[in-house]
Amino acid sequence: MALKVFTIPALPRVNNGAARLLPVATMLLAAVISVLPLQIPGYAALTPVFTLMAAYHWTIYRPDLLPPIALFGVGLTEDLLAGSPIGVNALLLLLTRIAVLGYRRYFINRNFPFVWTGFALLTSVAMLGLWGLHCILNLSLLDFRNAVIRAALTVAMFPLASFMLGRAQRAVMGTG
Amino acid sequence: MIRLSPQLRAAIQRTTLPVLVLLSGAVIILGKADQLLFDSLRTRVTDTVAPVLNAIAQPINAVGNVVDRVKMVVTTFQENTRLEAENEKLLHWQQAALNLDAENQQLRGLLKAVPRTAVSYVTSRVIANSGGAFVRMVLINAGSEDRVGRGQAVITGEGLVGRLTEVGDRASRVLLITDLNSRIPVTIESTHVPAVLAGDNSERPRLLYVPAGDTVKVGDRIVTSGEGGVFPPGLPIGVVSAVDTGGARVEPYAELSQLGYVMVVDYGLTNALPQPLPMLSRPSRRAKADGVDGVSR
Repeated sequence: MALKVFTIPALPRVNNGAARLLPVATMLLAAVISVLPLQIPGYAALTPVFTLMAAYHWTIYRPDLLPPIALFGVGLTEDLLAGSPIGVNALLLLLTRIAVLGYRRYFINRNFPFVWTGFALLTSVAMLGLWGLHCILNLSLLDFRNAVIRAALTVAMFPLASFMLGRAQRAVMGTG
Repeated sequence: MIRLSPQLRAAIQRTTLPVLVLLSGAVIILGKADQLLFDSLRTRVTDTVAPVLNAIAQPINAVGNVVDRVKMVVTTFQENTRLEAENEKLLHWQQAALNLDAENQQLRGLLKAVPRTAVSYVTSRVIANSGGAFVRMVLINAGSEDRVGRGQAVITGEGLVGRLTEVGDRASRVLLITDLNSRIPVTIESTHVPAVLAGDNSERPRLLYVPAGDTVKVGDRIVTSGEGGVFPPGLPIGVVSAVDTGGARVEPYAELSQLGYVMVVDYGLTNALPQPLPMLSRPSRRAKADGVDGVSR
């Protein structure tokens, strides 16, 4: 693995405390949103992966403000809250960072459909990986259909999440 | 803050990501090898976040109630006709039940049967679900402060929901009967054939260990057997919805994907009540109704 993957080019400095905390705060919010008991039939099994959306957004636009330790912490929190095997989401978010940082220069200043396509690819790989990992952890072949629908819902919800994160970013940091 | 040399700082920055990736992998393996290792951490985190989730779940429940109300208003006329018919039928059943109950009391008196264990309930709200993960669990806002304990059955008015797997001070986690790791001792009500209800993350759990032959058919009611002594026997779970070579599937009575309020069944194991005698004590519906001291939250 090339070391340049882990280096982040200089980004505009942000000294405002609220702005520095924004990425981590939105990640935590995403983790809480994903466990809300919305009373929609079948929703619990198909909840979109909100933390993946936030992790993707911030790793492209402000990777300096969402360090690996924060991804690790949020991932663990999500695992503990959701009751899923501990460490799975932490690993998912950290691998997301590695994947996105590797291709980050292609995503900067590109139009939204390009960024969205990137997210769709990432989500597909992530859900396939999650499914595989859960199959191994449970030593049985799990239903793949839920994973496919979840991935589709996650990709479909991304424009809204991206819009809201972008608005928050501009409002708090003044940059986008 | 400690001042680090730029080289050292860069080295730390370069290594944190791979180190944390390895650490997550190690945590996954450790958590899998020893399920109890992270239990106290999990309980502490859920206890801490519970008030937040509780606060958010309230408006969600309120919105759900409004949606239900609107639906009810739209279907009032049909619903009323249906309920009148049902009411008539139920009145007949009530007579039958009263007769049977009186007869039951008499016979119990004659036999000097062991008194039935009192069952009490703690009502609680669902404050979180498993968020799309490959598990089927919910968090409820009742904990050891409300005298609920690990292993207790969780029900709705319709039927069994699951059992408590982790109990914190203020919040507890319910393993739903549909979860991959859920195994519930059950009986087929009509034939008293014992079986195990096993979840597989699908909406309809499977019946395992049913003896070969025509012992189970579509439409059979499945109830808890009470084996193991933690669950009261006779809690309704669901009906057999399909039977094929792979076994039978059970459609739960409870709407597991739309849980709002649930009840934790205290069968006396965690209270100062005497230990129940699983072989002799068979609480009927009446006994449960008698034992209600619902702590409403």
